[in-house]
Amino acid sequence: MAPARSIRQRRVRRKIHKDFDLQLTSMMDILVIILVFLLKSYSASTNSFSSVPGLAMPASKSEQLPPDSLHLIVTPEAITFEGVRVIEFAQSAESLSSGQASYSFKTEDLDEGGMRIAHLYDALTKAREKAELLRAKSSARDEKGNPLPFDGILAIQADKRVKYDTLRKIMYTAGAARFHTFRLLATRIE
Amino acid sequence: MLKRPSSRRHSSPQEIQINLIPMLDALVTMISFLMYTMAFLSLSMIESPLPIVSTEENEVQLKDKPLQLTLTLREQDVLVWSPFELIPQTALPNRPDGSIDILRLHERLIEIKQKFMAEKKLILVPRADTSYETIVAVLDAARSLDRTDPVLSILNEKTGVREQVKQLFPETVFGNLLGGTD
Repeated sequence: MAPARSIRQRRVRRKIHKDFDLQLTSMMDILVIILVFLLKSYSASTNSFSSVPGLAMPASKSEQLPPDSLHLIVTPEAITFEGVRVIEFAQSAESLSSGQASYSFKTEDLDEGGMRIAHLYDALTKAREKAELLRAKSSARDEKGNPLPFDGILAIQADKRVKYDTLRKIMYTAGAARFHTFRLLATRIE
Repeated sequence: MLKRPSSRRHSSPQEIQINLIPMLDALVTMISFLMYTMAFLSLSMIESPLPIVSTEENEVQLKDKPLQLTLTLREQDVLVWSPFELIPQTALPNRPDGSIDILRLHERLIEIKQKFMAEKKLILVPRADTSYETIVAVLDAARSLDRTDPVLSILNEKTGVREQVKQLFPETVFGNLLGGTD
């Protein structure tokens, strides 16, 4: 039960409540400063690429912004294509003990003399066929009335420690699946 | 002139207060929108096409020998060469820590660009154990021109005006992508 207040106390409380006025001017100042900062550093994103936990990307001076395209991520553990994990790297005892990723493939995952990554080839081919089907159904046509050709662009977002041997196998596989342009992604140096 | 006693007012003037709440609402909405659509990860890209295997017919059709500037990343150095020997072959030794001397490589590429201003293509031949970070660093050195670099210009044959060259060799192809030596 609440303690009984004296009439005097009640009057004091009422008086304080009546005079109370939230100072919005300072809050406005803060918000305007935040807004100006955001507008200054604003850069609208035209792609769906995002950072991946555990992925250390290299830095580049290139000023070309990557437009949206099919997206392949090479992390120390696996290769992910369009959000689906297609290949897991073989983990050797040495790499597990040292904590350094080996980026080596399992023998059964490779074909064509160890150059092509079979599961990745399947995933890329499926994505190309899907894109070609969508283009065939689309009303957009070229000058001769044919469906627009498959753009064949693959964005590769890889860890900076990935060796060229791994990248070469990925690009070779993509080339076999009729991808002809590779966009190597890096963190932009301002 | 003094006012008449009847027109004098003794009450204090009323303070005009702007209603800030709608303005606050607008600001909060704008900040939320900007934060939602803002790209916090600033990415850049380096584009590289898949190399095309040349046929005999293409070789016959070539009138002038192309430069085909090639960078071969070797264990101890970087070899800068042209298969048609249009430039003297240069081996740029790595730094004592084993990393590529990017600055020296960039300077050498500027020297070549000054002789072949119209050339844009570069063939990169990394080793199997070259890291992605090294490849990006080499590509940066081969593509971009810094503010401290000499100003390069080329005559535009259509307009007759000399135009500044903004990139060194922006069209990069991996030479050993489809096989061959490491």
